[in-house]
Amino acid sequence: MANHKPFFALKPDRGMLIALLVFILLPFVIGLFDGASPAQVWMNGSGQSKFIQGLAIEIFILALYALSYDLIFGFTGLLSFGHSMFFAVGAYLTGILLKNFGFSLAATFGMIFVASILQALLFGMVLPRVKGITFALVTLGMASVFHVLVLSTELGKFTGSDVGLQGVVVPDFISPATERLRLYFITLTILVVVFMLYKRFVNSTTGRVCTAIRENEGRALMLGYNTFYFKLAALMLSSLTAALAGMMHSIYQPIVSPNVAGLGFTVTALLIILIGGVGTLNGAIIGAVAYRLLDYGLRRYIGESASFINGAVYVLIVLFLPFGIVGTWRMKSLQINQGWKRLLGMFTNSQDKSDGA
Amino acid sequence: MDYILDVQDIHTFIGQYHILQGVSVRVPRGSITALLGRNGAGKTTTLKSILGLTPPRQGKIMFEGNEIQGMLSFNIASLGIGFVPENRSIFRDLSVEENLKIAERKKGDYAGKKGFIFTLFPDLKRLINLSGINLSGGQQQMLAIARALVADNCLLLIDEPSEGLAPVLIEQLMKAIQQLSAYSTVVLVEQNFLVASQLAEYYVIIEEGRSVKEGKMKDLTNDKATIQHYLGAA
Amino acid sequence: MKLSAYFRKNLTLIIVLAVLSGLFIAAANGMESKDFVITLLRGLSVGSLTFLVASGFSLIFGLLDVLNLAHGTLFMIGAYIGWTVYVRPDTLVDLLTPLALLLSGFMLGDVWIALSNRILFGKRLKRILPWVGIFISALILFSVLKQYPIAIWKVANYAQSPVSISYLASQGQNILMPPVDMAGFSPLLGFAGLIAGSLLLAFCLAVMKAGKQAATICITWRNFSGFVVLLLAGILFFVFNNALTDFLANLNSNWLFLVAVLVAVASGIGLGALMETTLIRPLYIRPIYQLMLTLGLSAIGIEVVRAIWGRPEFTMPRPELFAGTGEGCPATSLADWWQYHCSTMLVMDGRIRVFNEILIPVIGIIVLVAVWMLLQRSRLGMVIRAGVQDREMVEALGINVRRVFTLVFALGVGLAALGGVLAAPSIGLSNLMGESFLLNALIALAIGGLTSYPGAALGSLLVGLLQQFIIKYGQIGIPIPFMDVIFKPSPPIVPASTILLMVIILLILPNGLLGKKE
Repeated sequence: MANHKPFFALKPDRGMLIALLVFILLPFVIGLFDGASPAQVWMNGSGQSKFIQGLAIEIFILALYALSYDLIFGFTGLLSFGHSMFFAVGAYLTGILLKNFGFSLAATFGMIFVASILQALLFGMVLPRVKGITFALVTLGMASVFHVLVLSTELGKFTGSDVGLQGVVVPDFISPATERLRLYFITLTILVVVFMLYKRFVNSTTGRVCTAIRENEGRALMLGYNTFYFKLAALMLSSLTAALAGMMHSIYQPIVSPNVAGLGFTVTALLIILIGGVGTLNGAIIGAVAYRLLDYGLRRYIGESASFINGAVYVLIVLFLPFGIVGTWRMKSLQINQGWKRLLGMFTNSQDKSDGA
Repeated sequence: MDYILDVQDIHTFIGQYHILQGVSVRVPRGSITALLGRNGAGKTTTLKSILGLTPPRQGKIMFEGNEIQGMLSFNIASLGIGFVPENRSIFRDLSVEENLKIAERKKGDYAGKKGFIFTLFPDLKRLINLSGINLSGGQQQMLAIARALVADNCLLLIDEPSEGLAPVLIEQLMKAIQQLSAYSTVVLVEQNFLVASQLAEYYVIIEEGRSVKEGKMKDLTNDKATIQHYLGAA
Repeated sequence: MKLSAYFRKNLTLIIVLAVLSGLFIAAANGMESKDFVITLLRGLSVGSLTFLVASGFSLIFGLLDVLNLAHGTLFMIGAYIGWTVYVRPDTLVDLLTPLALLLSGFMLGDVWIALSNRILFGKRLKRILPWVGIFISALILFSVLKQYPIAIWKVANYAQSPVSISYLASQGQNILMPPVDMAGFSPLLGFAGLIAGSLLLAFCLAVMKAGKQAATICITWRNFSGFVVLLLAGILFFVFNNALTDFLANLNSNWLFLVAVLVAVASGIGLGALMETTLIRPLYIRPIYQLMLTLGLSAIGIEVVRAIWGRPEFTMPRPELFAGTGEGCPATSLADWWQYHCSTMLVMDGRIRVFNEILIPVIGIIVLVAVWMLLQRSRLGMVIRAGVQDREMVEALGINVRRVFTLVFALGVGLAALGGVLAAPSIGLSNLMGESFLLNALIALAIGGLTSYPGAALGSLLVGLLQQFIIKYGQIGIPIPFMDVIFKPSPPIVPASTILLMVIILLILPNGLLGKKE
């Protein structure tokens, strides 16, 4: 065990590496189905491939957003109903700064960085006073105020009130219309970088303290950790990631609907990590893929009553995948491993020694 | 001997932790039996396993000759087992009288047992209309025991009655437990060895989730080495 | 002495309440007394409806630790069921027979358990057979129910859609209830199919469960009584179908409304009990997944309502006692109203609707007192109050907490359904009414204290009043002192104002106004 090199630390994640490979090749493979050579795909020449890229970009954005929610809910145990605000601030700020103030992309990112830290501080401000479900309700309140601001007619010049933010001119080199493949790979890169950063974070001391807070805050306090700062750190990282996801959303989507500021969008994040498995990073990504594909497929093939099937699928997941896809897989994989061992034991007799004592 | 309760090699898990790894306890009818052991040895879990609050995965529990493992908690309790938990679990929003009345299993239990309970704990009569939140620790302990007496229980499981109480109160409680043991069998979990040794007739020592020693209390009090080994300083 | 100690202990609460009442007085001074009375009564009305949702929600949350996010949807279903009974009693009567026959098999629960204990299956067979049986019974039931003749409106056909039916009914016209087409359906075959499907389904479910409770049950004729009663009831409903329909259709609309309320509450109770025993119960060990489950159920419920009753909004006509407009109206006193059955009444020169602004608050107060008495005076209430605090101990006393859970869940859903059926004539039926009331109720509970019953009442009252006052001020405007500006709150501020109040109160008193400290 001790001689494992750092490189092998990624070994348990070979599933994720395969997924990454799949996502890299995906546009070209789809292009082949469409009769377009990789070179054509490279020049954004394949319609089918472009469409799938678009879907994948949405999935990456949702995955980023779900990761950020998993960090505060799944790892730190803070149930927030105001998470959509983190996302919406990123989305709206990007749109408004690009459209109304003519900021460059880098300057916009700088502003979003500042704004996301500020809103994490805003959420952090109430942390010492309210806990548990009350924290959830207070954050819901703060997010609703933002939602009302977005919807209000007075700010319609900037936000587009209930129509949504539109007419954002995105710099040409990442335009979703003409340079979609580049946008695809940029979003994928962001997702990979954030995923690795999160992996590092949750395995660091800070991340472990966060997990300890989830399990038993009192004990973490008694061990001498000022849990407030750890929760604040998690909130900040989460807020930054969600705002980044919002920024990509604003760049990719022609219209930013005000719904992304509502409670429904927070619930989306919750559903994604529940589907994937709470407190697992892979779960957030797998959940995002499952959620978006399910939603898309149902809307496409079932149409109006899609949310009936959607609801039914949630109920079935709760009943048959009790801890989400990844969580349940982990539980069962132990059994599968044991089964393999038993099978191996039948052929080799060496295991008797270990059993005997 | 006639055993009212016979716990045979039970294994209990809490979450993924294997807490009890083979506990056997036999309780003779009409006796007081003390479960002894260090903090975290599994005494409380043993009581909860008997009641089905943390159901054992393996092993057998016989009560009055019937197997009760795997039954639901309330069914086990209604066979005639009273429980006095470690934290007393007095219902804060209920008055003292309601705290007693809720333990009725058939109508009239409370009216019938009132006299007996108030002779055991005269204090409670005075506090009858107070709500549970206003009681002191000693009063809560009395109420918790009284609550277990309301229904016709032939077995009482009492968890740490002396914990956190002043010596005067402990003496009062010990007297009460002694008196009520004339009516029903008592299983006592006790950290305070002095209290346990004065009350109990039999003992079982639990160590790291296993029952390691049992016998008569008389023999144990003389066996300083065992006490030192399993219970630390006596 | 004691009083001063109380003051010191609850200083924050007292200050908050003082500030709130100060605000209330200021709001009252800002408008004419006639407007004030109307707004006050409207606030009470919305508060009462919110309370009916919130009280059930808080009982369920307190005892079972379940945040039932489907509560709003159940409120909505109550409204739609009430509408159906009130406007189309023939549909209800037609549904009674299949419902009774469907349930009949489940009345034999003990018999099935005993039977499945007696029959020894192989282990693998025991796992597969029930599923096969369930599949077959589902097939039978589906094919029978598909053909079963039920008189029902048609969502796709505008002339026969709920919207038109409601409109006709509100005009006082008799709705044509066309007799059901019995062609292609033989009652005997249908009944046999329903009963067989029900028996098979109940048996298979019992076999699946049987391994867990090895109890010896002796079977007497008593175990069959429920089955026989339901069977007879089903057949009687079928035979006297027309007579019953005629009776209900010719009933005075006040009585019919009462029937609608009762049926809605009963189906709410039934739905709640069904939901708790089948879906919620396995999830007590995984609380966060209950959120997902109830969300999923809520989505399903909304879609089912859309499929059956359609998407457009419509209103349920008010019963005759509250619908008069002719001579003597608007009434000037309650006696007047009783004489002329006016829909509106003059209170201090303000015109109010009797149903919305008087009946609903009165029912709200009655329910408040009744549930309060239930909680404080009955043994069930005692067990609930104890269980909110320490479930395990209640169980250790030998009380069947699971049954209490089911009861409380059913009661909570029943209250929500009552709210729904009362809301139907006053605010109308829409697919989204559930969600908005759920949010209102959640806010009210957060303000009042999540698991506190009086808190639910106080919070609902505050939410209702605040919303109505903001709406009123949206019409008349608030003059801002020292400036010539009249501030008119815009519509999105209405929900935001209650949420803002919630945030402020939670930051001052994290457990709400009347919540207990942990």
